[in-house]
Order: sequence, then structure tokens, then C-alpha cells
Amino acid sequence: MTEHTKWERVSGNEEEAERIYRKSRSFLGDVWFRFRHKPTALCGFILVLILLVFCLAGPFFTPYTYSEQNNKMASIPPLLTVYPGPEEGSYLYITQGMKLIEVDNEGNLVRQLKKKKDDNAQKRTSFVWDDDTLVYLDYSRLPNTVLDKEGNRIEVSQKKWNHTYLLGTDQLGRDILTRLMYGTRISLMVAFIAALVNMVIGIAYGGISGYLGGRTDTIMMRIVDIISTIPLTLYVILIKMCLDDGLLSIIIALSSVYWVDMARVVRGEMLSLKNQEFVLAARTIGSSTKTILLNHLIPNAMGPILVTVTMLIPSAIFMEAFMSFIGIGIAPPMASLGTMCNDATETLRTNPYQLFLPALVICVIMFAFNFVGDGLRDALDPKLKK
Amino acid sequence: MNRQPPVLQVEGLTKHFPVSGHKVVHAVDDVSFSVSRGKTLGLVGESGCGKSSCARTIIRIYEPTAGRILLDGEEISTLNQKQLLPYRKKMQMIFQDPYASLNARMTVHDIIAEPLRAHRVCSSRQEENEMVSDMLARVGLNKEHANRYAHEFSGGQRQRVGIARALILKPELVICDEPISALDVSIQAQVVNMLRHFQEELALTYLFIAHDLSMVRYVSDDVGVMYLGQLVEKCEADEIYRHPLHPYTVGLLSSIPVPNPRMAKAREKSGLEGDLPSPIDPPAGCRFHTRCPYATEQCRQEMPQLKEASSGHFVACHRIFNR
Amino acid sequence: MEHILEVQDLHTSFLTSSGEVKAVRGVSFTVEKGESIGIVGESGSGKSVTSLSVMQLLAGTGRIVGGSVKLNGRELVGLSAKEMRTIRGKEVAMIFQDPMTSLNPLIPVGEQVGEMLWSHDKALSKAEREARVVDLFQMVRIPEADKRLKSFPHEFSGGMRQRVMIAMALACKPDLLIADEPTTALDVSIQDQILKLMRSVQKEMGMSIMFITHDLGVVAELCSRVLVMYGGLIMEEANIFDIFEQPLHPYTMGLIASIPDLNQDKKKRLQPIIGSPPDMIHPPAGCPFAPRCPYACRICLEELPPVFRAGEGHSSRCWLLDEDAPSTGNPLKNRKEGQP
Repeated sequence: MTEHTKWERVSGNEEEAERIYRKSRSFLGDVWFRFRHKPTALCGFILVLILLVFCLAGPFFTPYTYSEQNNKMASIPPLLTVYPGPEEGSYLYITQGMKLIEVDNEGNLVRQLKKKKDDNAQKRTSFVWDDDTLVYLDYSRLPNTVLDKEGNRIEVSQKKWNHTYLLGTDQLGRDILTRLMYGTRISLMVAFIAALVNMVIGIAYGGISGYLGGRTDTIMMRIVDIISTIPLTLYVILIKMCLDDGLLSIIIALSSVYWVDMARVVRGEMLSLKNQEFVLAARTIGSSTKTILLNHLIPNAMGPILVTVTMLIPSAIFMEAFMSFIGIGIAPPMASLGTMCNDATETLRTNPYQLFLPALVICVIMFAFNFVGDGLRDALDPKLKK
Repeated sequence: MNRQPPVLQVEGLTKHFPVSGHKVVHAVDDVSFSVSRGKTLGLVGESGCGKSSCARTIIRIYEPTAGRILLDGEEISTLNQKQLLPYRKKMQMIFQDPYASLNARMTVHDIIAEPLRAHRVCSSRQEENEMVSDMLARVGLNKEHANRYAHEFSGGQRQRVGIARALILKPELVICDEPISALDVSIQAQVVNMLRHFQEELALTYLFIAHDLSMVRYVSDDVGVMYLGQLVEKCEADEIYRHPLHPYTVGLLSSIPVPNPRMAKAREKSGLEGDLPSPIDPPAGCRFHTRCPYATEQCRQEMPQLKEASSGHFVACHRIFNR
Repeated sequence: MEHILEVQDLHTSFLTSSGEVKAVRGVSFTVEKGESIGIVGESGSGKSVTSLSVMQLLAGTGRIVGGSVKLNGRELVGLSAKEMRTIRGKEVAMIFQDPMTSLNPLIPVGEQVGEMLWSHDKALSKAEREARVVDLFQMVRIPEADKRLKSFPHEFSGGMRQRVMIAMALACKPDLLIADEPTTALDVSIQDQILKLMRSVQKEMGMSIMFITHDLGVVAELCSRVLVMYGGLIMEEANIFDIFEQPLHPYTMGLIASIPDLNQDKKKRLQPIIGSPPDMIHPPAGCPFAPRCPYACRICLEELPPVFRAGEGHSSRCWLLDEDAPSTGNPLKNRKEGQP
């Protein structure tokens, strides 16, 4: 800018005066921005992604199936207590059934040793190691242990991670990791489908009720009230009892109940939105009811709807787990987190990990979805925080 | 002389809202007026006087309790929403709050195109695009703005989007429900000028509702003053500022802040005392008598009728006619 | 004269999802004892943020980035929330645009005002407090004051609620009353009543008033000095007569021109200011008003004008006042020559 042009008149530029400098960002873009700037929400979202990868891609990487049983390897924990074996680099693991399993240096389970003779007087059992070597299991006093070559008790044990079954096996000798993958897959699938069905029913029911208002609204909401006076758990159990075992019936049971909350949320939103000026504007324009519902009301109610859905997923998962736990859920041998917990209760004292692991996964899922839901609520409605 | 019927004629329009306890809010009570083609009627009054209810009843967002609404001489107050559809093309509304009246989830293009889609005006996407960008240009916005969302605009720009939406169908009657009240002063003038420009260009008829008497004068040919659901004074716009008759109009006019410090400080203003009474249980007689400095026993008992005081100047006040 | 409030080079910003909003970008002014000063500007000009910065009541991500705010000689920036609480109400009080949001809907109004008294003087007995509240209610002309003590906020009309807010603000006789658009949500008739009330209250109590509004007409009724804000800056400062009679900034001139004049011919078009206010996430490099200014020069777009002094207490941020500015087509130069 020279001295000369400095005072050059720049005539009032309408274009410039109306310019919008802000980057155009859609509503969803804005939500995503706020969402990813909230650590807990992002953390929950990443957890959900990890869970999805775990249950969808995981099964391709394990050599086992959810139903494959190996009675010889039943109830092997992920962390093994091993004693040195007769050969260098070999170890022995004592199972709960008083069998010996050879474990190699890396923690792989090599084989189960063949039992030769049980000596009740000396309280020891002999096992065939190879053609000319025997190993002895001593159960004269606790803890049970293995005898060395001189016949002395080996008191010093070692800990080794189970390399064959990373998270151990259940009492039927099925790989827990693999079953967790399938279990998570089933649980999530049930939850997602149930949430989706609930959302559709809830939006339709609440939307109609709220938009029409008046007498229709009163009647429809009384029906909802009646449904919600019945304890949902009982109701789901009853529905489930009437139907066959299996995935479909569980989904039907869950979907037919939880839409009540959704319908209430949607109706509340409709009631407050339908008197907003933009909806009145649509009515004066002459837009059809369908347009008003689909273009104006539902998109604007989407925030609370999404939050309700994400909060619904954990409760559906919990409900499914609960039903499987009390034995009316997924039919064996299919795995679900609930059935796994159920199976584990029988041997809870001896094998706590069998209950702990599926329970942990349930916890992680609940945490993840609750975090996501919470983050979504804040991201969708930034005013709420103030 | 004038054989063409007025674009809008309202006769005895009444709107009561039921509230709990079997009471009713007397939002609009027996209001009559008409607006001829290309003219503007300004309706003013304090908030709660029923001017917005009046507008919304005319455009049939609310169902009228009684009275007739004639659009181009055709009765529309008895039609159902489906029968009303062709008439909706002829009357449009501009709303008060530029933030609430635009759907935040829609782009400006979709907002402006909504009337076109509702009435299936365009046969092709391209035709729609052309009409929308043409309309945008006429309200001083450009194509670049079309794909943005309403929340990115300033208040004045949003209100212009609202105007574009109302005018894209080339209606005959536009009801402006306080279109400038929520805007900054510098922007109010923009919007008012734009409305006047479109009126000249498209021969629009306006029903202009405002609580701000000063701006109403710039857009209106006639002005009606409402108080508690009733029309208390109606006459030509300049006349009402020069010779206000009803004590309420006088009070309203003197309440306007004077943008001149010497005059403002010198002047001893009368202003209006007190608050608007509840429209659930409006005072008997003249509804204004509770705040009127001249109220007499007659005012407390007898409701004054809207009568012609001088040529074209109607007023509902006992005092004027008793003199 | 005695400065009640002294604001020096105040900068306040908000962090939003789209970036940092520089709402106030270097504002300096003083408020003298017993004076009523008007801050005028449109929405987004930073006028409300300035007042909230003084009160240290910035919501959400708002932060004072720089500058100082001195009340009665005491620095407020950096005071703890607890220290600020003792100052708020006692030395400076604020009334807001929407009285409903500042009143607790579940507590009778008399009790809320009494609470305010109690929080600053714990020695007051209940009876004394009630008597004081009745006095205050009478002062703000709430009819039947003694009967309205037990009423809840929703039983009052908008105007009456604003009166309650004023009573609450006056409870502890503050030195400075900040009124942030107290009449914008009200009808003209009620606005008129409130303005009258504020004038008489000021006369009675002798406090200073900082009145924030977008309406120049309101300012003319109440204030003796005016700051015109735009784009987070004070564009012009002058006494009330100079602002209306010889404005020295095109924005002020535009504001005045866009007010409808009741005596003017109605066939005449109003003179609006074209365009829209600037986006404060990307404030213009030069004068923030330049894109809308009919007299803008190249320098206006590129360089922020300094504050030019033009006579007693009159200053303006406009390049047209620069010595080198051409006088042809310059509305400010021609006038200055005409009126020495």
C-alpha cells in the first residue's frame, strides 16, 4: 500500500459486507466436533470400536470355535501354576481333576499325561512321562505337588501364562477367548437390533401421539402408562417363555418392551417442537404432515432420540445377559455373555476367572455405551451443560 | 368505484383459547378490518394484546372461534386444512424470531425451496435451483449462501431468508408478524426497506404486525391499534401520528423514546401507567379504563363501539363522542 | 472527577467449536461518580461481554485475556470468586435483559431481595429486612408493596419483574449499576416506565449507571455520555449531544440515520446500514466497520484506525479524521471545517 493508494475509495461492497467467513459446518459436523473434544466420550467411542473389531474380526484369528469341546483341557486357567518336569524346559501342570498336563517353556499345553497307578497308601499317583520314566503327583498334603527324581516334594512352583488358551477354558474345555468373541457379538447384535426396533416403534408411536395431540395423545399415552406399570423384567421373561429359545425370540422380547421410554422422549420433543415458529412456518406454507414430521420434527428431535438409543443399548445388553444368566436366553452351545456367566457360577469357587471374564466384558460394554451416550448428549445439546 | 374485493377482509374475528378451570383467554374479540390490494395495514399494540393471535388465526394456524375471513372475496374460515391448500399459496407469513423460524437442520436452499415443493411448483430440480437462487439474489444473498445452515447467518440475513421463503410463491397477502422486533436497529431499516421494495415490485398486500409504532409508520397505509383483543383505533397512518384520538394510542406514542437528547430531556412525557390486565378476565366496559386517565363511570360499565370520528378515522372511546 | 470504574485495554475471548471469538478487543473507558453512561452497539458488538467482564460473570469458555478493570481503585481482574461475591451487590450490581432467568421461580420475591440484603449485612433481623424490602419495592413503584412480598416471580408481569430486579440491584446501594438491555424485552410503554424509574432512582441515590442497549433513542432519554461499540472496539465516545448532533464516525451516523423519525415524511426511504456485522472469529484486519462503510478507503480495510481526539471528551476511531485524509467526499472533514 503506497501513500498514493492509501486513500483510494473502496466503494461499499455489498458482497463483502454479506460474506460469511465461518467454515460451513453441518449440524452433524458440529456435533462430531464437540463429541471428539470430550475425552470420556471419545474414550467410550474407541472402546465401542475395539469391541466391534474384537467380536467381528476376532473369530478369524482364533483356531477354536465356540462349541469345540476338549474334555482333556477343561477348566484350565489363563495363569498356570507349574512344576518342573523330568526334562529340561518341560513343566507339569496339575489340573483340578488331578491330572498332569505337560507344559512347555512358552506356556503351550503339550499333552495330558497318561495315568498309570493310584497309590492310595502313599497318596500319590503315577503318570507315564515316556516309556521308561514315570512322574508322580503327591496329594498327601496341600498344596498338591509333583515329586522330583529323588522322590521329594517340589515345593517351589512357577507361574506361566497359558499360551494355548490365552484366557483359559471353561469346564467343558472350550476356549474362553473365542466364546467371549462370539458372546460379545451376540450380545451386541441383540442390543443393536433391539435398540433399532425400539427406535422405530418409539419414534412412530411418540411422533404420532405428540404431533396429533389432544384426545389421541391422551389415549396413546395412557396405553404407554399401563405398559410401563408392568415390571419390564417380568414382562420380558413372560414373552420369552411363550416363544421358542433362540436369538429371534430374545430380540422380539426386548424390542416389544423398551420402546415405551423412547415413545415418551419422542412425544415430549414433538410437543415442544410443534409450536416452534419453523413448524408453524411449514404449516402456513402448506407442507404436508409427512413433510413436517420427516423434515422438521424428527430431525430436530434426533438429539434426544440418539441419546436415548445409546443409553438403551447397555440396558438391552444387560437384559439379554440377565435372561441368559437365569437360563432362558440363548440356547447352548451358542455363547452369550450371560450364558457364560451362568455356566461359570457352578465352579465359581474353584475357577473365578470363568465368571470374571464375561462379567468384565459386560462392564466394558456398559461403560463404553454410557460414555458415548453421555458425550452425545453434551455434544447434541451444548446448552445443557450450563 | 372499487369493484375488486379487498385482498383480505376480516369480519368479527374472535379467537378464544380455553385454559384450565373452564376459563377462556380472550385473545381476539370481534375484530373487523380489510386491506385492499397493494396496501399495508399495520396492527400495533403491547405484547399480549392479541395481534399475533389475530395474525395466526387469519392464516389458519389457529381455528377461529367466530367471524369470517375472506381472502380475495372468498371465505376461508370454514375450509378444512386440505381445502385450504390452494389458498395457502396466496397468503404467506413472515415470523418474528429469525432464529426460531428457520429449521436449524436444513440448508438455506431447502428452506426457501420448501414452499415450491409443498405446492409442486417446479417440474425439475434445475427449475427449482434457478428459482431459489433468483430469490436469494433478490434478498441480497448469493448462491454461496444457499448451502449453508441457518445458524451461520446473522439475524438480519436470517430474516431475509424468511422473507425469501414467504415470497417465493409470489403470494398476494403477506402477514408480517413482528418481522423486525428481534433485530438490531441498523438491520430493522434494511428489512423494512426490503419489504417496501417487494411491495412495489410485486403489488403485495401486507398485514404488518408490530409493537413499535415508529417503524409501522414507514410501511403502513393504515394503522390499527389493538388493546386486549379489540381494535380501539383505526385510521390512515399519518393521521394516527398527527391526531391520535384514543388515550391508549396517545400513551403509546408518547412512550416511544425520542432519539434527540435535547427534546428527550426537555419533554415531560405522559406515557402509560400500569400493566396490561389479564385477557382471561378482561375488565368490563371499556377494556382500557383501568389505565385510562380519563375513565368515567360510563367507561367502566359500557363497552364503546368502534365508530367513525372523522372521515376514515375510527375510534372506540366514549370520551371522543361525548365531547 | 472521581472514577468509579476504570477499564483499561480490556480483551475478552470465548472459545467455541469454530475457534476463538474475540468478543472484546481492547476497550478502555471510565465511569465517573454519579454519571450515566450508555454503551450502544448491535448484537455481537461486545457491549454485553464488556459488562459481564466488569462483573466477572463470563459464562462458559469466556475469559478475560488482558487488560484491567478497576472499581473504586481496586483491580477486579484476577480476584477470587469469593472476593468478587462481596463486591457484587455492594459496589456494583447488574440487571439483565430477561428478569425471569435471574429470579428463582420457587422463592417469593420479597425473600429473594431480603436474601441479597442479608448476604451483605448479616446483622439485620428478619423484621428489619422485610421493612427494607418494602421500602425498596416502594422506591421502584411496585404497587401494594407490602402485599407483593410473598408473591412468586411468575405472578408478576415482565415490567414488574424488571422492577423487582432493580430493587434487588439497589438493595445494597451500589456505587455502579450495570443495566444490560433491561428494556429490550419489554413493550415501549413499559420501557418508558422503567426508564423513568431509573432516572428518578439515580437522582435519589446518586449512583453511576452503565446502560447497555442497541437503541440510541433509549440512550438519549437516560445517558449523559455514550460509547458506541462495534466489532469489539469502542468506535466513538462523546457526550450525548455531540453523538446526535455531530457524530464523528460513519457507523454512528448510520445508526442515527436508521432510526425512524416520527416527524419525517413517510414516503422517504429509511437509510439502513448495508450488510451484516463481522464475524468475531475472523475479525477484519482493518476497521471492523469498513466492509459496511460507505466511505471506506483502502487503508480502512488494511489497518485498524487509532483513536482520534476531536475536542472535549470526544474521540473516534475513523481514518477519515486523519490529517492526510482527503477532504473531498469526506463527511467528517467538511463538517469540522464548517463548525470550528
